[in-house]
Amino acid sequence: MKYKNLLCCLAAFLTLFQLQAQEQKTISGTITDQDDIPLPGVNILVDGTDRGTQSDFDGNYQIAAAEGDVLVYSYLGQQTVRRTVGASDVIDVTLQEDAQALEEVVVIGYGNQEERKIIQNVGIVKEEAIENLQVTSADQLLQGQSAGTQIVNSSGVLGSASVIRVRGVNSINSGSQPLIVIDGVPITDTETNTLQRGGNTGVNPLSYVNPNDIASLTVLKDAGATSIYGSRGANGVILITTKKGRKNQQATVTLDVSTQYTRATDVPEILSADEFRRFKSEVASIQQGTEVTPEDLGLGAIGSGGTDWLGGVQRTGISQRYNLGIRGGTENTTYFIGLDFQDAEGFIIGNDQQRAGARINLETEVSEWLTAGMNLGITNNRLNRVGVENNTFAPFTTAFLQSPVVEAFDNEGNFAQSGSFIPNIFAIVALDTDELKTFRTIGNFYAEIKPFRNLTYRAEFGVDKLELEEFLRSAEFNTPGGVAQQINVAEDRWLTNQTLTYANTFGESHNLTALVGLNYEETLNTRTNVSATGFLSDDLRNLGSGSTPTVLNGDRNPNRLYGLFSRVSYDYAGKYLVEGSIRRDGSSRFGANNRYGYFWSAAAGWVLSSENFMEDATWLDYLSLRASIGTVGNDRLGSFPSLGLFNAGAIADYNGESGVIPNQPENPDLKWEESETIDVGFKSALFGGRLNLNVSYFKKTTSDLLLNQVLPPQTGFATISRNIGEMENSGWEFELSTVNVRTEDFEWRTNLNLATIDNQVLRLNEDAATDPQGRRIIDGPIQRAIEGESLNNFYLIRYVGVNPQTGDAEWLDADGNITTPPGTDDRVVTGSPLPDFSGGITNTFRFFDFDLSVLMNYSYGNDIVIDGLRFADGNDAIGGIVNIRRQNLNFWREPGDNAYLPSPTSPTFNLFNQRSSQQQLDGSYLRLKNITLGYNLPQRALDQIGNIFSGVRFYFTGTNLFTIKGDELEGIDPEVTDDIDPLFQGESFFTAPQSKSYLFGARLQF
Amino acid sequence: MKSIKILALLLGIGLIFSCEDRLDVVPEDQVASNTVFNSLATINGAVVGIYSKNQSGDLNGMAQLMGDFMADDVNFVGSFPSLQEIDEFQTLATNTSIDNIWLDGYELIGAANNVIENLPPVTDITGLDEATKAQFVAEAKFLRAVTYLKLVNLFAQPYQVAQGSNLGVPLVLQPFEGGDISAFQQERSSVNEVHAQVEQDLLEAIPDLPAENGVRAESGAAMALLARLYLYREQWSQAADMANQVIGSGNYALAGSYDFYDDNPGSSEHIFVVVNTPTDGPQEAAGSDEVYVNFYNPAPGGRGDAPFSQDLLDAFAAEPGDLRFTTLSQAASDAGGNDTFFTLKYPDVVNNASDGMVLRITEMYLIRAEANLRGGTTIGATPLADINLLRDRAGLGPLGTVDLDAILNERRKELCFEGHRRMDLLRNNRNLRPGGGPESEPGANKVIFPIVEDETTNNPNITQNPGNF
Repeated sequence: MKYKNLLCCLAAFLTLFQLQAQEQKTISGTITDQDDIPLPGVNILVDGTDRGTQSDFDGNYQIAAAEGDVLVYSYLGQQTVRRTVGASDVIDVTLQEDAQALEEVVVIGYGNQEERKIIQNVGIVKEEAIENLQVTSADQLLQGQSAGTQIVNSSGVLGSASVIRVRGVNSINSGSQPLIVIDGVPITDTETNTLQRGGNTGVNPLSYVNPNDIASLTVLKDAGATSIYGSRGANGVILITTKKGRKNQQATVTLDVSTQYTRATDVPEILSADEFRRFKSEVASIQQGTEVTPEDLGLGAIGSGGTDWLGGVQRTGISQRYNLGIRGGTENTTYFIGLDFQDAEGFIIGNDQQRAGARINLETEVSEWLTAGMNLGITNNRLNRVGVENNTFAPFTTAFLQSPVVEAFDNEGNFAQSGSFIPNIFAIVALDTDELKTFRTIGNFYAEIKPFRNLTYRAEFGVDKLELEEFLRSAEFNTPGGVAQQINVAEDRWLTNQTLTYANTFGESHNLTALVGLNYEETLNTRTNVSATGFLSDDLRNLGSGSTPTVLNGDRNPNRLYGLFSRVSYDYAGKYLVEGSIRRDGSSRFGANNRYGYFWSAAAGWVLSSENFMEDATWLDYLSLRASIGTVGNDRLGSFPSLGLFNAGAIADYNGESGVIPNQPENPDLKWEESETIDVGFKSALFGGRLNLNVSYFKKTTSDLLLNQVLPPQTGFATISRNIGEMENSGWEFELSTVNVRTEDFEWRTNLNLATIDNQVLRLNEDAATDPQGRRIIDGPIQRAIEGESLNNFYLIRYVGVNPQTGDAEWLDADGNITTPPGTDDRVVTGSPLPDFSGGITNTFRFFDFDLSVLMNYSYGNDIVIDGLRFADGNDAIGGIVNIRRQNLNFWREPGDNAYLPSPTSPTFNLFNQRSSQQQLDGSYLRLKNITLGYNLPQRALDQIGNIFSGVRFYFTGTNLFTIKGDELEGIDPEVTDDIDPLFQGESFFTAPQSKSYLFGARLQF
Repeated sequence: MKSIKILALLLGIGLIFSCEDRLDVVPEDQVASNTVFNSLATINGAVVGIYSKNQSGDLNGMAQLMGDFMADDVNFVGSFPSLQEIDEFQTLATNTSIDNIWLDGYELIGAANNVIENLPPVTDITGLDEATKAQFVAEAKFLRAVTYLKLVNLFAQPYQVAQGSNLGVPLVLQPFEGGDISAFQQERSSVNEVHAQVEQDLLEAIPDLPAENGVRAESGAAMALLARLYLYREQWSQAADMANQVIGSGNYALAGSYDFYDDNPGSSEHIFVVVNTPTDGPQEAAGSDEVYVNFYNPAPGGRGDAPFSQDLLDAFAAEPGDLRFTTLSQAASDAGGNDTFFTLKYPDVVNNASDGMVLRITEMYLIRAEANLRGGTTIGATPLADINLLRDRAGLGPLGTVDLDAILNERRKELCFEGHRRMDLLRNNRNLRPGGGPESEPGANKVIFPIVEDETTNNPNITQNPGNF
């Protein structure tokens, strides 16, 4: 069936080949700048069509146009010029410098738009903002760059996904990550495809695109921008456009070679073996009222050795990276070829990654009315994974917890068993295999046909194919008998986008663009998960050598999506702009009764600076006001959320007999979540482009929020999904960019962005659990969502501290009175993981041939909970066998002590580390995220080395070099996320810290 | 010409409109509820599913382990704060380990109710005769009874505290099928009411269950569980009689050696056992995995959280040579690095799939002995004869006389690490800890579990147990 459709579409193209060209002549000319210097690479477009060319190296161009056509000449940084073709065949043009640079065309959903005419709220990250950033993964390109786009790196563990939030959390139980579209291909979510390694270690979907291949990123924020993506737009959309060649340009080859050294940013200080022995014996002596030696406690004598586990799991990771880009173009064809190889070592032992990627982007003008092209990126990745968070196989967790008196090696230098359930992590890393191999192809083929003037038909056929293999092998030493596990996942998406665009100008100034289109996607996820136990030898690595193989999963998960959409934009003289869009989406995820949803948006804008009455305000280059309203949906609800289902397989089988077991109660009324957004704002450029200020305010109400309503346990089901909730996010976004100094030899620019988000749960289900005040709640062990308040609130017992007089740890009860011991009823709202505001600041300096870019990101007013401190503090966690932080040495000894830990004889001594606000810390920070210093060889130096190179650049990049944070975060990284789940934001068990890295590199261009 | 181009264009787009039909996709990994009672295979599957639920590490594993942590047979050397709370009698309602027992318990009850309620009206299924139908329902009732007895033992004070008039657990006898939830927000029934339901389920199940049913429930299993219920309720003659019937049935016999603990479900010792195999262990979508192997075994392979307590070591040391110690224990270091002993009753550290002991014939001898002693009867045999039978197998010489202490001591050494000790102490009014304080006394607030927070927050009608939960 699918193939039939394809064939017919191809037939349709062939029919269109018979088109005739219109009566046209060839216009030629030279383009120069204000100083009469020829400008190469100027875009020349026949207005109202997508027909265009670029000027050559001498500024010359040729283009076919008919008399009366308007030619549009545009070039980055220059003012756009429009000329009407008259009798003459020659049109020479001089372009004036344009400080505003708002003429650029940016990518939006299913199309492009001139930046000055955009009335959608989009965050744009342009090539020049990122071309000198050296990052390992594309999400880092967005960090701190765009207001309202918050990226929290999960940890310094290689390959793990960041939490990306566009305008906060818009869902509770469904996915909250934005839709990511690479060159028109919405990529599949990959986070659930790999084995859980504790915390948020799902594989980063953006690690499949080479950051050096990226030309620009657009973050679609308001409904005006996202509703064209319908049922998938509610969490925002990130459009990634990869680099393309330019017409009539000689091939430029760019080669980047760099080396990076990586360390942990910050780790807590924990006790050495002897400190541990002294602490334990001192505490025991006080408690028992008689001298207790470390030997009595089975800890060995002072000085009898031990292991620095934390030191042992860290290293300086050394990474190499090679990147090659070739771009250029002939008169009809442009190309970009990218090659990338990365051999990265994390700062945690056992964590390595080798990534190789290749890309070809090709576009050719077959004829005047037909353009065809292809974007294709492939990535091959091999990752040695390590666990994080609450996981005894996680190096960074285990190294904190493992007793320092435990010896890692015996006298012969062989690995020693730790003797407890906390394994010898050195042995795990050295002997076990934990490898993830992925191969991913993301690409599309497209053809653009212009059957008539002003009309463009574009057909895209895209594919996102992920092949993943995860292999684990635990050795005899770590798991008696050995165990192997292999998971193979294939996640295939096939899709087509077909759009028809009509663009025309009526009369003098009525500009109209209309778009209709369809989008069909098929996704099939298959997963096989097999394990085997009983291996004769560690040398038999493969699964098949085990005596007892077990099929753990064999899943097939299909889903399909079919959307029809349309968008109409109209403007009068570029001054008054309106736009509307509508999309109808159908999804296989929903029952027949609720299969289709409609999403729409309407927007209006007014470019005040184009009004006559503003002409006197010469200091004002550009000012526009804009407002939009619309709806979008979220379809990430699982594959069959509405059916009553029984599970089969191992979970229901017994003793070799197949069984079924109730899994999901029937839920026929289920549908997608829907958000309605109102967005207003203004955009301005002042003082010849020296100052740009954009401000917007939004309010996003998500209704039909899918809540996993907790069922009374007596039903035998844990939860049922219902569209009952309502949530509101509102906030302000500010983007300020200034050119502080601009002289010939020195330039200083600053970009600052800041966003606030206010989240409020408006409604939970009627039969939701309630608190004593009668408010509906969703309760978790650390957080509680309360109706009428923010979704994320830490809800803990308030810890006060150690009373200097009594030596007792003290908490507050619900009424605010001191208590020892507190109960669960004493939990109150103690903090919020949501910042008051967050954002980024970039300062860029250019001084002669040096450039310096300093990117900082910040978050203010949020709290974090480090749940692992329940183990790393206090005396008795896990029977007292685990190591603890150094501040625990400060325990109460006599009245007047301002101690960290209560008196060993206090009844609160062992209650001290129970879950309370004691583990809640102020998460505000300001971090030097990326600093890059570059030096470009001046032209005369290039001349001296014989003009082999057209450019040579040396650079240094430092990441996370310093962080300003509260004292209580000593040793703890403020950027934490345990989980991608919205209900667990700002929580961590022991997140491995971020990495601090130093990168040295060179870029050669020839 | 122009119209042809337009037509061609519309054709290209129009063809894809047929995509709408393609949105009908059905699940491939699961079956919809309305098809479950359509065939003998899926009906049998629904019954098998209840057994599979009973295999859950929370119902058979965690429940026994936590009872052991409260009582005096094992030491707690673990890292789970939720288990530490239990060990220290400081359990809170938020305790996640307890939560899973409650949730899994009612999930099993829901799956059983589904069969008990929805199977009887089903007719016209090829191969499904009335006897098979009755047997399936009886199996579901047996598993429901096992679970209710487990829940009431853990979440309510035993019968002895107020002759069963105190609060038990909510009795749910209907399956949830979407819709109204108020029928599933019930108040707790009394211990007597729960016991009565367990008794009724078992009495109804006995005639419909076959005497031989492989590893699935047999009539002997229902009778054996009934014997245990009567013992816990101090209905001595009924307990002795029921145990005696099981012993006399000839379907079960004391195994010659202690070789029945793993991978030997066919042993004559077993009346009902939870069979875990390498390919089908106690895995669940969420919650705990294999508990027995992980907790009762030292590292590597296990966590080493639950070694022998000194008190139990002393009990075995009092009579050296007890095969139940010499063949069923190993010396190793625990999670805290101390040299101690671990049980070998759950040895499958390679596959994490040791069987869970539920009912075995030895317990029937112990029930008969205790009930006869307490009731002053000699139904089937004298208490002394029963006890000496077990001692003989353990390689110990016969006793001359027995009293309650001797029976309980024998019971302890025989059934240690199988989840019996806590109830045996409580119902005999003995402190859970040697020299223990008021917190571990029978009737103390935290020798039983709190009603879990999931229940209290989602059921306005529920009553919490007394104590600061």
